[in-house]
Amino acid sequence: MNGKNVLFIWEYVIREETDVAIKLSDLTHQKELLTGGHRMCAGCGAPIAVRQVLHAVPENAQVVTCCPTGCLEVSTSIYPYSSWRTAFIHSAFENAAATISGVEAAYRALKKKGKIGEDFRFVVFGGDGGTYDIGLQALSGMLERGHRVVYVCYNNEAYMNTGIQRSGATQLGTWTTTSPFGERSAGKAQNRKDLTAIAAAHNIPYVAQAAIHSWRDTVNKARKAFQADGSALLNILAPCHRGWRYPMEETVEISRLATETCIWPLYEVENGKWRLTHKVRQKKPLREYLEKQGRYSHLFRPENEAILEQLQAFTDQQWEQLLLRCGETTES
Amino acid sequence: MRTLMKGNEAIGEAAVRAGCRCFFGYPITPQNEIPEYLSGRLPEAGGVFLQAESEIAAINMVFGAAGAGARVMTSSSGPGISLKQEGISFLAGAELPCVIVNIMRGGPGLGSIQPGQADYFQATRGGGHGDYRTIVLAPCSVQEMVDFTYWAFELADRYRSPVLVLADGVLGQLMEPVTLPPELKPDNGNKPWATTGCRGRKRNVIKSLYLNPEELEAHNKKLQEKFGLMQREVNRAEKYRVEDAETVLVAFGISARISMAAVEAVREEGIKAGLLRPITLWPFPEGILQSSLPKAKKVLVVEMSAGQMVEDVKLTVSGKLPVYFYGRTGGLLPSAEEIQTQIKLLEVKVSERSLCQA
Repeated sequence: MNGKNVLFIWEYVIREETDVAIKLSDLTHQKELLTGGHRMCAGCGAPIAVRQVLHAVPENAQVVTCCPTGCLEVSTSIYPYSSWRTAFIHSAFENAAATISGVEAAYRALKKKGKIGEDFRFVVFGGDGGTYDIGLQALSGMLERGHRVVYVCYNNEAYMNTGIQRSGATQLGTWTTTSPFGERSAGKAQNRKDLTAIAAAHNIPYVAQAAIHSWRDTVNKARKAFQADGSALLNILAPCHRGWRYPMEETVEISRLATETCIWPLYEVENGKWRLTHKVRQKKPLREYLEKQGRYSHLFRPENEAILEQLQAFTDQQWEQLLLRCGETTES
Repeated sequence: MRTLMKGNEAIGEAAVRAGCRCFFGYPITPQNEIPEYLSGRLPEAGGVFLQAESEIAAINMVFGAAGAGARVMTSSSGPGISLKQEGISFLAGAELPCVIVNIMRGGPGLGSIQPGQADYFQATRGGGHGDYRTIVLAPCSVQEMVDFTYWAFELADRYRSPVLVLADGVLGQLMEPVTLPPELKPDNGNKPWATTGCRGRKRNVIKSLYLNPEELEAHNKKLQEKFGLMQREVNRAEKYRVEDAETVLVAFGISARISMAAVEAVREEGIKAGLLRPITLWPFPEGILQSSLPKAKKVLVVEMSAGQMVEDVKLTVSGKLPVYFYGRTGGLLPSAEEIQTQIKLLEVKVSERSLCQA
């Protein structure tokens, strides 16, 4: 059977507002730049995010990928093997943005001198630990200098590679191995920081928040990121069933619930203009998202109800603020 | 009562029992069980567990807590310890006591997450910028990880200095029965220099900045005198069958345990071998090593590195005996059989030796 002639029954095309139509069938015919056979867990959200982003690489462009240490890096580049059909550079945990800045600066210099002709694109895939926490300084420097790099944070809300420790992306009340629950603690005591907004505050051409369940949205955003003349950042929710404690086959569903409960809204900031890319018509209560995950099981004990309410209140407040920024509501 | 504990967790428990109520850490393999254990244990004990945003942040939190007079600890592994070096230099310069645990892995660079011993130079030569040294303790069992963590706090306070506990990935992950020491009160000790609020006394200043060169030289002289005192007072090593040994092995940490098995095995075959295991890596137990060589004809140093401690051994032996080296790198452990082979090679006539003299 000729693959090109197969019409997938789940193929559909919707032209949404200004977005360019993307056909799923086109994507399936594209060469995958992250090949199969890597050692990520079955049901991991990270390689889904990576493949969605790499499907948006402009045709004929060469790609240089940089990964700081993390699950993705250790599972896709174990010497002498590589799952990457791109040039690949591995940095330490704290300096992926600095490393790729150097590569991009060298490319510019070589291009200016006419020593390099091809179109190269530069992309970082870092986890939330390497992005929200230890790599934030290097990231901020890269964004401020405006290197033409697409920085992708595959966000699974904890340090999964080292064994599920809390990070700056971990939500309030979450169990991790360094935010345990018990008599003296009910999981993480702080709210997560808003990395997407921090990146947007650098006034770079393109910043977006995405999630793996919404492939068209993510590919669209990645296309815009690659088109941006300057730095771009994509913060993509990539659920981790090992760390979040849910059955591995539910990764996509969990991602969808995160958006439907508004704890992970999908939006973009293009040249300073905030826009909601998925309008949540019927906002679901956060409980529906939390109760599916073992990392929140302790929150359903009577003594932790206040934490549950706090997290709902924080989610509501962040959502309202986002609606305001996106011009969906006006301050009453 | 003996308890079965993992090395990393045992370090955490020993710290709490030594009265440590402040821990600042950051994830890195293979030491993650230390922060994980303390994230549960310290809040129970009324202490502070804090996961920082980076190793640099963690070591400077240690600076802050130590300056306020608290018994404080941090832990990491190779790459993370490298990031902490600026802070360690500041701690040494400002004479602040603290305990820093390095569960070594293979290097250089990101290296691996397998055990290694190649951070010996970094640990024993100060590690950061400027003229300073820190006491370095090298356990070789889970029991010693407990005992030396406990001891490290005592030494840190006695000398107002950072103290390093230098173990490796094997010891960190190893489970063994341990006897835990009694729990000290979370007393931060008598620290009249600490910045605890100067009501009723003259203000205290903690700093490592002396812009006036004469002042800085005087400060350095004082530090050097302190390091000299440490060298005279803190020397520990374990001797094993060295009295009649013609071949004396020198090894620390997990390498020493393997070497001990090799010594026993070659003894069975009539080769007179012995082992000296330095416990304080800095100060290096020079006197104890010298006294371990009454019948020695040669020395064999075994390390999980390309040869670092061997330099201190050579300085101590000072050309009186040939010093040989055997090492494995990259996260590989030398086997007892490999070491036996090396010992036997030394028995062969000099002209037939394939082994390099270090």
